[in-house]
Amino acid sequence: MTLTIPHQQRLPLAIAALGFLFLGLFLLYPLFNVFGASVLDGDGEKFTFANYVKILGRPFYRGAVANTLMIGVAATITTIVISVPFAFALARLPVPGKAAIVALAAMPLVLPSFVSAYAIVLLLGRAGVVTQWLNSWGIGFGSIYGAGGIVLVYTLTLYPYVLLPTMAGFKAVDVSIEEAAQSLGSSPRRTLWTVTLPIVVPSILAGGLLVFIETLENFGVPFVLAEDMPIFAVEAFKLFVGETAPNPSSAGVLGVLLILMTSLVLLIQRRFLANRRFATGARSAPPILKVGPGLRIAATVYCWSVVLLALVPFFAIVVLSFMEFRGPVLHPNFSTANFTALFERSTRPLLNTLMFATLAAIGVTLIGVPIAYVVTRLRSGLAAVLDVIATLPFAVAGTVLAIGFVVSFNSGWLILTGGPFIMVLAYTVRKIPFAVRSSSGILHQIDPSLEEASISLGRSPLQTFARILVPLMLGGIMSGFVLTWVTIASELSATVVLYSGQWRTLTVVMFQALEGGGGGIATAAASTLIVVTLVPIALLYRLIRRYELAA
Amino acid sequence: MTGIVIEGVTRTFGTVRAVDGVNLTVGEGEFFTLLGPSGCGKTTLLRMIAGFCELDEGQIRFGTKRIDTLPAHTRDIGMVFQNYAVFPNLTVAGNVAYGLKARKVTAAEVARRVEEALSLVQLGGYGERWPHQLSGGQLQRVAIARALVIRPQVLLFDEPLSNLDARLRVSMRAEIRELQKSLGITAIYVTHDQEEAMSVSDRIALMQSGRLEQVGAPAEIYRQPASRFAAEFMGTTNLLEPKALGLSGAGRVSLRPEALRLDAEAPAGWPRLSGTVAHVEILGPITRFDVRLADGSVIRVASLDEPHRTLATGAQVTLAYDPARVTVLA
Repeated sequence: MTLTIPHQQRLPLAIAALGFLFLGLFLLYPLFNVFGASVLDGDGEKFTFANYVKILGRPFYRGAVANTLMIGVAATITTIVISVPFAFALARLPVPGKAAIVALAAMPLVLPSFVSAYAIVLLLGRAGVVTQWLNSWGIGFGSIYGAGGIVLVYTLTLYPYVLLPTMAGFKAVDVSIEEAAQSLGSSPRRTLWTVTLPIVVPSILAGGLLVFIETLENFGVPFVLAEDMPIFAVEAFKLFVGETAPNPSSAGVLGVLLILMTSLVLLIQRRFLANRRFATGARSAPPILKVGPGLRIAATVYCWSVVLLALVPFFAIVVLSFMEFRGPVLHPNFSTANFTALFERSTRPLLNTLMFATLAAIGVTLIGVPIAYVVTRLRSGLAAVLDVIATLPFAVAGTVLAIGFVVSFNSGWLILTGGPFIMVLAYTVRKIPFAVRSSSGILHQIDPSLEEASISLGRSPLQTFARILVPLMLGGIMSGFVLTWVTIASELSATVVLYSGQWRTLTVVMFQALEGGGGGIATAAASTLIVVTLVPIALLYRLIRRYELAA
Repeated sequence: MTGIVIEGVTRTFGTVRAVDGVNLTVGEGEFFTLLGPSGCGKTTLLRMIAGFCELDEGQIRFGTKRIDTLPAHTRDIGMVFQNYAVFPNLTVAGNVAYGLKARKVTAAEVARRVEEALSLVQLGGYGERWPHQLSGGQLQRVAIARALVIRPQVLLFDEPLSNLDARLRVSMRAEIRELQKSLGITAIYVTHDQEEAMSVSDRIALMQSGRLEQVGAPAEIYRQPASRFAAEFMGTTNLLEPKALGLSGAGRVSLRPEALRLDAEAPAGWPRLSGTVAHVEILGPITRFDVRLADGSVIRVASLDEPHRTLATGAQVTLAYDPARVTVLA
């Protein structure tokens, strides 16, 4: 034996090595270059902290930090306030149509949030449909541009991040714990506040932190709604595009600061929430409470209102895309001119979107699933390190990663800028954490003795992976693939930095139309994007249903 | 069919010596059991033979062929797992055929041997069923058929019955023993249940803290335990100072409860002890009672049910014990 690596660890170690290679080249190296850019002078030659001093010395950028954090906190609070009663109603109150509510409530997670923001502008903006209608009645309201509108859109698009885990949390509360409290003399109301809610708090906070991080990294929503208000991700992009010096030092500084903020939030989550899981081991979901008709109607109206309200902007965009635009001004006549204008110029953006999403989703699956296998099956510090690195993209805003890509692959031995692969690679890296999370969730439920049984029957570890694990994971892998595909199709923040010439995507078309005031093309691109998103999801639902019926 | 030789095998996890210098020779066709409390190293030793756990030191051979350096999938072993490990994505027949297909057996031969193996475990005609349609006992039969059908050199059982209910456990263990004997495949069986171990095994290795405590035939370990641990693990016993029985010497002696009888029911030649009845349990076929001796020590007695016997707590009794069944422990 020349190798001293135990047989059963060779496959995971080989995968880990490839994983480190990929993430090292396309995640750590670009991030290192962003950091490098931030501590070098404009010519990229001398080491200096002057960039930090310069940026943080300007009230404008300090304002950007403050605005971003303030909006994040506000949106986190509003999503929690809206979602917790919603989750409780779904888990414990007699609300009709729960399955439909849950399915509809998950939609905003896959639909592009900047489309929702744009719809809000078209409805409630200065020249908005609703604004003008209200004005004709002499009713006015405050501006939806700035913090208020951004928080509104975040609330409508991000609330499922809190709703879904909180609902699961409420359902996981063992009813005997509530019964114990009541047998000790606690009223149902007091039991809810002193027993049930505290058990669910970790789920609420975990969801809230996801919302907070999403708001820090989001580029599209503030780009549409912020106007003059400086927001971090947008300013980083503007600095990067505007910087003429060879070294993007100012954009680098904002990038590093943004990564620091998100990492800090993630660290807080790991430190304080990871060990605060109150698993109560419920054997079955707690019973639906008996309540009076008043509360029942109120809960029903509330749940349906939130779900539908969040989808109104997307619905509105589809309707508006079939109306006549003259420049940015809307006229209430049916027309397919917007789509003609969109596709007449070129169908390339649509094809690019489909192609990039497919390639990147394949990449994410091929890299994420094996990494999840290593993370769950290899008991070693190496696996823990790989897990952390594979989670890292979650803390990196798309804009920042993309800047790192441009800095890293603009020259030297590997030149990717200007081509399609730089976008595919950036998408792949961005979505790997989701694939690793969802795949390791499935792998944790597959007993390792199944693999051992296969190996003892004469199949090598690699064959065992292909013949036992992959078939067992297939349902989960497919759902993951579709969700990844859909979120990549509507990716904006990295795309706007990386696209070039003929490699524009639908999101880029929309972005450019917004900048240029071409409302018609923007709405047509947005509703095409909505269709592109919903069709695979609908197919996935049907496939899962058929699979469940067959089993 | 092969014997197994285990030589100086050691494995350390952190500071714990999970398996500590174990030497064993298992004969051809023998049903050999590794018995011990949880954490004694029996499962680790089994997984070393299977190839799922590395050796720090020592070697394992099947016959004369060293196997501890081979990858697990080339060792030609049939293993039966505690939680069945039946592949849920394959039918019963697909599960049983799995190892044959890995060995490139022809399709016709696979079909024939699968059906043969299924009828061997009394699941003939179950080939097209899916695992989720089977009970726990049936799943374990599938797992056994899957391990047997490849005609492995060695069969390994990792607590195969502990997920089954008590009644099924008793009938399944007899079946496993019968199958193993009729096929003549060397088997290593891991369990923490001494009764199960005694019922199936040709020989038992009792393990504690990674070491072999005692190796021998079941009755031998039960009747002549080499240590206090062996005496207590193999069944209820009285550990007494020799002078409590009127014997000389240091250390402890072991006297099983069934080696004691009431004065009236015992042969005349047995030594007598007297005391008061402290506790009585009539369990049906057996009556257990505790007697407090003059020096305050409590002695446990077990005897078959006897309708005319009356035993009341607090009554004065005289006991007799079989002197041949007193074991002096090191």
